[in-house]
Amino acid sequence: MKRPQTQVAVLQAADAQEDRRIDEVADEADCKPEAATRAAFELEADGLLTVTEETVSHYELTEEGERYVRESLPEQDLYAAATDAGAKEGPVQMGQVIGASGLEGAAVDIALSNYARKAYGEIDSGEITANPDADPGADPEMLALEAVADGRVDDADADALDQLERRGLVDVREETVRSVRLTDDGVTALMEGVEVAETVDQLTPELLTSGEWEDVEFTEYNVEADAEDVRHGKEHILRQTANRVKDTLVGMGFQEMEGPHADAQFWINDCLFMPQDHPARTHWDQFALERPDEIRDLPEDLVERVRSAHREGVGPDGEGYHSPWTEDVARGMDLRGHTTSLSMRYLSGHQVGDLEPPQRYFSVEKVYRNDTLDPTHLLEFFQIEGWVMAEDLSVRDLMGTFTEFYEQFGITDIEFKPHYNPYTEPSFELFGTHPETGEIVEVGNSGIFRDEVLTPLGVECDVMAWGLSLERLLMLMYGFEDIRDVHGTLCDLELLRETEVMH
Amino acid sequence: MPVVDVDPEELRYLTGHDEKDDEELKSDLFDLGLEFEGLTEDDEFQLEFAPDRLDRLSVEGVARSLRYHYGDDRGVYVPSTNSADWTIEVEDQPEERPYVTGAVVRGLDMSEEALESLIQLQEKLHATMGRKRAKGAIGVHDLTMLKGAAATEGEGKSITYTSADPDEATFVPLDADAEMTPNEVVASHETGQTYGDLVADFDRVPAIYDAIGLFSFPPVINGHRTEVSEDSRDLFIEMTGTDQWTIDRMCAIVCYALEARGGRVERVAVEYADDAPGEYAGRTLERPDFAVRTKTVTHDRIESILGVSLDEREVVDYAERAGLDATPTTGDDAAYEVEIPPYRVDVIHPLDLIDDIGRALGFNSLEPVYPDVSTVGGRHDRSRLEDAARDALVGLGFEDLLNFHMINEAENFERMNLSVPDDGDGSDAGTVGLDEPVTIQEPYSEDYTILRTWALPSIMMVLENNTHRSYPQDLAEIGLAAGLDDSENTGVAEHRTVAGALARTDASYEDAKARLQALADAFDTDLSTPSTTHPTFIDGRAAEVVLDGESVGVVGEIHPTVLVEHDLELPVAAFELRLDGLA
Repeated sequence: MKRPQTQVAVLQAADAQEDRRIDEVADEADCKPEAATRAAFELEADGLLTVTEETVSHYELTEEGERYVRESLPEQDLYAAATDAGAKEGPVQMGQVIGASGLEGAAVDIALSNYARKAYGEIDSGEITANPDADPGADPEMLALEAVADGRVDDADADALDQLERRGLVDVREETVRSVRLTDDGVTALMEGVEVAETVDQLTPELLTSGEWEDVEFTEYNVEADAEDVRHGKEHILRQTANRVKDTLVGMGFQEMEGPHADAQFWINDCLFMPQDHPARTHWDQFALERPDEIRDLPEDLVERVRSAHREGVGPDGEGYHSPWTEDVARGMDLRGHTTSLSMRYLSGHQVGDLEPPQRYFSVEKVYRNDTLDPTHLLEFFQIEGWVMAEDLSVRDLMGTFTEFYEQFGITDIEFKPHYNPYTEPSFELFGTHPETGEIVEVGNSGIFRDEVLTPLGVECDVMAWGLSLERLLMLMYGFEDIRDVHGTLCDLELLRETEVMH
Repeated sequence: MPVVDVDPEELRYLTGHDEKDDEELKSDLFDLGLEFEGLTEDDEFQLEFAPDRLDRLSVEGVARSLRYHYGDDRGVYVPSTNSADWTIEVEDQPEERPYVTGAVVRGLDMSEEALESLIQLQEKLHATMGRKRAKGAIGVHDLTMLKGAAATEGEGKSITYTSADPDEATFVPLDADAEMTPNEVVASHETGQTYGDLVADFDRVPAIYDAIGLFSFPPVINGHRTEVSEDSRDLFIEMTGTDQWTIDRMCAIVCYALEARGGRVERVAVEYADDAPGEYAGRTLERPDFAVRTKTVTHDRIESILGVSLDEREVVDYAERAGLDATPTTGDDAAYEVEIPPYRVDVIHPLDLIDDIGRALGFNSLEPVYPDVSTVGGRHDRSRLEDAARDALVGLGFEDLLNFHMINEAENFERMNLSVPDDGDGSDAGTVGLDEPVTIQEPYSEDYTILRTWALPSIMMVLENNTHRSYPQDLAEIGLAAGLDDSENTGVAEHRTVAGALARTDASYEDAKARLQALADAFDTDLSTPSTTHPTFIDGRAAEVVLDGESVGVVGEIHPTVLVEHDLELPVAAFELRLDGLA
């Protein structure tokens, strides 16, 4: 038979003839009492050992008890004083007796109550008698107290011990003492020979399938030691942010848009009622393409309506711009400077067919701006774009929608600062409180699309829209200082690996 | 966004609010949308604002807006003008710059501040409405230095807007002390060099003459003779451009500013010759154009845009506080005739008036409401597919990357051991990464000149920039790649590409294929990998990625040439395939 080391030692230390206390066994087995106890129970479960338990009471004198042993009990002092005063013959004045006894304070009460209990005499109306038959010299409580003090608890009267415990003169502590004794099987096993089982580091398939695991002992590990670094793949932090935004918007009833990154200026600028000589339409702001330089087909009727909106305006009192407008410019290809080009494609009905109100659409996609690369500006970044199409939308609806959206990201107290965009009126810059620093920061741009945008597209109800940069949201939420560390080929892998996941 | 420098002392003087301290002024200006950006060297406020209210490009204009804001002024104000004494005769002017406008302003006390403000207004209008002087350019002259010729009609005096031979005509330009021809100005005068491009294609250049001779060469520079100084009392303003409306509006803005300084505006007749180029041949215009435009706004539209109920009295009140005048119409539908002052270049539709009413009411006083509109949300198929593929790659242990779609040809091709594809000969068709690239016109940075045709070059760059970080580096990206494609309406074929690379001391073809196999299995597609050659990969260790019978990518061990080029000292196994191959 093979047993783990501790079990073998406990088995060998146990005796078949008499119970042996576990602490003695542990001493002999050279292990801790807890380990010996655990081994004993395991051996008992296998029938090799019996374990018996008994409760032992330990008595100890309290401080008060120790003092009485050295001196005497207060009631004994009182009896002696009363006797001296002649109380055996008849009642004497109590004050006189107490004064003579030398008792003071709490000791007086203790003396009086026990005096009466033990029938040393009677106390009545300020007078005291002493019972001539009493024998304070042989007081059982005093004897028991002395027995405890001398370690002779077994000699002490049990009632007296209880009384001492009640009087707070001794403390009683109970202890479970386990003892073991070899069973016949245990004896047999020892006679047949018990070997120490090997300890193993690794639980192997062989150990499991062979059943050997039952006989092995596992080496103890330092479970507090550092483990090796494990690398896990992780979704890019900006993708996580994008997905969080997408989840939020889908939850608010928005459908996702999709469309070309390289697109005609028509969809990027002209549909948005950006005049063709607008300063932001130069190549310094948007990337114009060399190849291809022109889109092949634009919807003719829409081109005509957009041209008319630019040149003549929309509605009886619309003026349009006093800027040149040519289809050639509109056909020019750019990398989109905003994803509002997608909104134009969708609203025009050319992307997914004509849309009937109400509709909500969004995208979280890349846009391209010809700007200087610096810690907060990239040539490419993600724009969150969203719009709501419905009858009779007001600026209050716009405020309510965006307040709700930003609250999902911990940005509350959104302020709406009236602003100007060529494509929306009224327009608002959105400001919110930075969740970390408490600063007021710009968090987006919004507005209600102008008639000059919607009428050419064939939209007859209201559409409100807004946009913001995803990177800005990320920087607000996570406090990144240099966006180039995460986005682009200059990214630092260590930073990506260590960045907390979004939850 | 335009920035205007404004002296707070001037603001107090022009608004008549001496009691306002700087902080109060800043706060009032913020309410108008003029943000305090800092102080200039002369302790003037630098104010930034959205480019709609170009009438606020001067301290006079800002002060006017404040007076409306304070309620000191209400409704439309139009300065009175005296009848025309001067005529601008227009004949033989360049057809590329056919329009001119003007005004005379008399009786000014040109303090240093007033002169500075005028110069600033001129510069800012040039930069904005004037489109860097191409669309409109302003010339301001000391009237006393002009000698008018007798006008063709009537008693008055005239100057002439015409054209001149750039090598013949001469004048002494500003900041010069010798006669120069227009071509000499363009060649050697500092201002001429800046604005010379505007007339580079002109056979004959724009020129303005009086009885003495050439005194202005618009849109480049004025003559020295008529230069305005602090001693000037009477000014002649001329503006030339490519659009009459635009220069007339610019002129109105300048005249309003000078009128606020105590000037008296006098009209100028602009007399286009019968054969003059442009839309106004044979017509005489009285300028400045201070005509008040009107637009009709319905009460319903005001209420529906603002989301509040208003009564007629409130609408009229808000309009007046915005410097407009609203008169209820007498028709069946509740509506207003709204009068718009001539300096309001931004009002081009009734909606713009509703915005003004909203601002006067205070948008931030409105209570937000969540629109009672029910729609069903959802993701686009492509975006869901992309996310699922990304999850699978992340599960395989790849670090997900996000790189720029723009790159340059060296990174995209040459450093990957590919040659830049030739124009359209099709010989490279089918080789992953070898599409002809979409190219950017006049790129700002030489690092970003094309759209990437594949994503592995971006991943190689990340490996190159992270050689100091611990290995293995298993990197993946799903993102845009694009190439020229005549069959597309835009001429660009865009697709999402899936790229992965394993950089580790023992990276092998098998490591890459194993992960590719797992990815293919995850999408229940059948992977086969017939041998291929690709210059980026080692021969004999490269294969096509064929999913469900369609070739969608490439897998293999990166060629040592490419590794060394990227300063890598360990092998890299990689794959790249079209995302739609997994669909």
